Amino acid sequence: MSELYRELTELLERALYVRDIKGEDWQEISAVVGFLQELREKVYELPGEELRKRFSLLKEKLVALETLAAETLSPYEIVKITRHPQRFTLQDILENVYDNYTELGGEGEINLDPAVVVARAMISRRVGDKIYMHQVMVIGHEKGHGEEFRRGGSAKPWGNEKALHYMKIAETEGIPIHFYIFTPGAYPIEDPPGAAQQIARNLYTMAKLKVPMISFISEGGSGGAEAIGLADLRLMASRGYYSVISPEGAAAIEAKLKSGRPPRELVEKCARNLRLTAEDNLRLGTIDRIVPEPPLGARRQDYGFFKRLRYEMIRATDEVVLQTKSLRTFRKYVLSRKNGTEEVPEDFGIYVNWELTEDEKEILLENRSRKYREMGRWAVCGKESTFKHYLEKSHDLGLKVFHGLRYGVFKQSHRALRRMFEELTQESSALLKPVSDPVKTVYNLLSGKKRRIPKVVSWIERPEGPEELYVSPLALEDRTVTCPNAETHGCPDLWVPDLYGEFCGVCPNCGYHFPLEYQWYLNNLFDRGSVREFNEGLSSGNPLNFEGYAEKLAKARKSTGKNSAMLTFEAKIGGISLIVAMLIADFRQGTVGVAEGEKFIRACDRARITRRPLLALIHTTGGIRIHEGTLGVIQMPRCTVAVREYVDSGGLYIVLYDNNSYAGPVASFLGCAPYQFALRSTRLGFAGPRVIRETTGEEVPPDYHSAENALRRGHIQGVWDRRELRLKLYEALLTMGGRNLYYR
Amino acid sequence: MKDRVLIANRGEIALRIMEACEELGLDYVVVYTRPDEESLHVRKAKRKYRIADYRDPNELLSVADEAKCTAIHPGYGFLAEDFRFARRVVKRSRPLTFIGPRWEVIRDLGSKLNVKRLAKELDIPVIPGTTEPLYNEIEAEARAEELFEWLRESGEEDPRLLIKASAGGGGMGIEEVRELEEVRPVFRRVRAYAKRLFGDEGVIIEAKISRFQHLEVQLLGTPHGELVHFGTRNCTIQSPGRQKRIEIAPGLDPQFVNYSFDADALLAEIINHSLKLAEAVSYDSVGTWEWLITPEGRAYLMEVNTRIQVENEISAKISQVKSQTVNLIKEQIRIALGDKLRYQQKDIHFSGTAIELRLVAEDTQRNFKPLSGTITRFSWEKHPWLTVRTHVPQDKPYTIPTEYDPNLALAIVWGKDTKEAQQRALVFLEEVIIEGKRSQGEPLVTNVSFLKNKLTEILRFPE
Repeated sequence: MSELYRELTELLERALYVRDIKGEDWQEISAVVGFLQELREKVYELPGEELRKRFSLLKEKLVALETLAAETLSPYEIVKITRHPQRFTLQDILENVYDNYTELGGEGEINLDPAVVVARAMISRRVGDKIYMHQVMVIGHEKGHGEEFRRGGSAKPWGNEKALHYMKIAETEGIPIHFYIFTPGAYPIEDPPGAAQQIARNLYTMAKLKVPMISFISEGGSGGAEAIGLADLRLMASRGYYSVISPEGAAAIEAKLKSGRPPRELVEKCARNLRLTAEDNLRLGTIDRIVPEPPLGARRQDYGFFKRLRYEMIRATDEVVLQTKSLRTFRKYVLSRKNGTEEVPEDFGIYVNWELTEDEKEILLENRSRKYREMGRWAVCGKESTFKHYLEKSHDLGLKVFHGLRYGVFKQSHRALRRMFEELTQESSALLKPVSDPVKTVYNLLSGKKRRIPKVVSWIERPEGPEELYVSPLALEDRTVTCPNAETHGCPDLWVPDLYGEFCGVCPNCGYHFPLEYQWYLNNLFDRGSVREFNEGLSSGNPLNFEGYAEKLAKARKSTGKNSAMLTFEAKIGGISLIVAMLIADFRQGTVGVAEGEKFIRACDRARITRRPLLALIHTTGGIRIHEGTLGVIQMPRCTVAVREYVDSGGLYIVLYDNNSYAGPVASFLGCAPYQFALRSTRLGFAGPRVIRETTGEEVPPDYHSAENALRRGHIQGVWDRRELRLKLYEALLTMGGRNLYYR
Repeated sequence: MKDRVLIANRGEIALRIMEACEELGLDYVVVYTRPDEESLHVRKAKRKYRIADYRDPNELLSVADEAKCTAIHPGYGFLAEDFRFARRVVKRSRPLTFIGPRWEVIRDLGSKLNVKRLAKELDIPVIPGTTEPLYNEIEAEARAEELFEWLRESGEEDPRLLIKASAGGGGMGIEEVRELEEVRPVFRRVRAYAKRLFGDEGVIIEAKISRFQHLEVQLLGTPHGELVHFGTRNCTIQSPGRQKRIEIAPGLDPQFVNYSFDADALLAEIINHSLKLAEAVSYDSVGTWEWLITPEGRAYLMEVNTRIQVENEISAKISQVKSQTVNLIKEQIRIALGDKLRYQQKDIHFSGTAIELRLVAEDTQRNFKPLSGTITRFSWEKHPWLTVRTHVPQDKPYTIPTEYDPNLALAIVWGKDTKEAQQRALVFLEEVIIEGKRSQGEPLVTNVSFLKNKLTEILRFPE
């Protein structure tokens, strides 16, 4: 009888699970649950025969319902599966996929951040009668089965810092890293090391981490997922989701809600539009492979799934490692033959050593760079014809050869020669000084020659300002505005032509910065007439077929005359030529999608090839554009890889924030910059006040994201005044950056 | 249409502008603040508006619109040399006539550094030092070394330099250095101060000239290209806060003092230089060119004041145009409203010496601390050679507002030569009666005895 009771309980749990996912009103699921509960209550009262009969009838019914449920799963229901407390977690994986493991950086609740688990683990495979053990570093989010302290896998900034710390240890020890992504998103607080900054730092490091990295996504919530997501191979659970934003968040934005819950239908619609399922992501090219789960998702007791996961993780690591080896053809063939959904074999068949030589590490990094550069590139639309495309290509190639010769070969040798000469003269003058100095003094005394005033060898010259200030169209009205600080600072009202003309939109009394249009920067920051845009034809299509997005894009294009929110151009400041990537508010709030990311990457590459400094000028950015889904999210790792390669090549990468800069871009290719500065008007952070309130339940002070606080937290290196922006930038160009700039 | 002038100032200058308008037959409107309610300029005006602040352009322009004014006279101080105000007045959608130079001229001559640059181009001597702002301390030190060398060579025993904020003025952001070692720290300090206060970290270095006479040249130009001068003035006698206390016209008098150089030739030289610069910028209003004269007879141009000055009347007192007395404020308004000059330099004749004494409620014994209190009695003997300009009523007690300068009155004395003018000035100072109380009841002191003392030193280089 207790046997039957156990089976009944199990069945009831299955039924409840289906009800959780499909909702109470779906088919007869609620009735089945009711009957099962009733049956379990009466298990000791009813005669055995009848019990068994009713049990098998109910079981049959439930199985039928389960099949139906699996067949009719909607994207939002998949999200619910992913979030269900019965779903497997990282702890389950560590228990079942790995052979033994030691948690690092805390256990359970006694932890730096219980939402992030790190473990040194062993994973084994059988080849013939041998068992091989592999050492790996496992890093991932732990959702827990409903424990409060795990915060559903939302990593705090120091949780991501912990992840980074152990990534570096894995690199030192030369062992592969297995990442497990189970997060609804990062915990959006700015406490040091800062949500956005830490994610940016992680991405920047992972771009060139010299060990194979595999990530497995169950719940991939945007930036939080990317913090440990820049891997060489990205697997995804078939019932997981990977998305730029939660469907609820997208719905709140679409409905322009300030607070409260968006309607269920809209959430469903957004979940559909976001293309967040594993199949969708595979089709979009944002993941590499799907790990199949049972039709309604794997739960903690699905041992078959764990077996498959172990197999897939080993296979993925093998593949990444083999890609770096010259001798690999046969083993690759063996691996590829096993590609499919057939039963997981007991015997793995081949063995691959996961240690890499130095050369292989270089190839690994090259492969990774290529992978991310290619990822999602198909979605970029450009207006240019094939002829123009080839013209651009050959132009780029020409530039590369030209600058390679000019600054690489000639300048290097010239510099070496000059340095040698300098050393030689200095050395000889030091040798002669004790002899020549007294002679000189006597000579000067006799001839009455004056002591010469020392000449300065080199100092920073101030660039001449543009002769005529560009006048903002805002300045053409005869009226006054009141400075928002008038009450506290006693500022007089400002006459608009003065304010938006000569004052550069800054209150002369208190320094308050009024927002200015992006054209102001184009005209007043750079030498007159030096701005030359490139890649202006690139644009985003509507790769997800997101309802209504095509119209929004068309409207933005029409109103701005631009094809994307990212302008990339060559310009000069005080005669120094530089490459600028600028996000503008006018085009969909400066959000980043496929085209913006691609243009940024091309700007990085052009700066690297031509040895120009790279300036990211952020007029405003609202984050990753949700209408492009994960194709937008992957711009975070993509652009970070390009930036990292630019910085490593010895360039100068400066980020300058104006107005509002939030979310994805800040948490990746902007936040990772070695030099970041903000204007007084800047609001800088990971998530806006609404998201923080909804996630943490706490209200943040109004100046939480101010430039001053960003400076206090160490996010930026300085707060600049718009009136002296040009000069500050000029000084930065001269004094900062690596050794490989063309004017060094 | 009859012009109507908004007088955007207070005190005695407002009164003088009112008088000039009346003589020209123009309407005028006066503004005042609550502490100035007792002032004569309020009592005498027919149309007046109370405002909160003489410095607020928004308020002034609303009054101008409300009162249907066609022109604005800024007086001196407050907004008189604010080129943005001048620009706004003429560029707004309901433009007014700004009684003063064109805003471009105010801007270009308002920057001391720019004046220096212009002067150099025209071969006008300026105080040795940098003509471009310095931003770099290595460069600053090199320039300082050069200047020290120059000063030593020209016989200075204790050479000193001044390190100034290029955007500064009125004695703010100036420090003195005596040694080269001091240059860097002082430079850095001044630069930081300049950045904080003026938003521009440019710094200039100048040689400090320790013994000098402070001279001025009074010019008048018109938009039609006419340009004349009204001689020179000497404003060397100042309070320690560099506020003028006694002014004399003309600027030097070789009959009165023995100079080691040809004073008349020097005066002619600075007048010519001033005219040359004024011509180069097409100066189109009244203006003053300030000069430093060393005991050796060297002259350096310091700055240009693009406004009517407090002491304008002493120049008027010694000048006659076609045997008529001159009123420079009247001339300024007339020219600004489009009139032509109608005379030439050769029609202007100079005779005698005029001295202006500024009566101020200040404690000269205690570092010229400005005082407040109530004037209970204020009177003086009338003389044909004496003009007194004051906004303080003589018929009832007057409380000195604490918000503004404690200037009480200007006494302008004329004599056929400097000796006579000096004696008459002394007579006035003996006869004037100013009585009053401070808030705690003790008697109010003024600078009368200081002025008496200083009268003996006029036109002489300090020992």
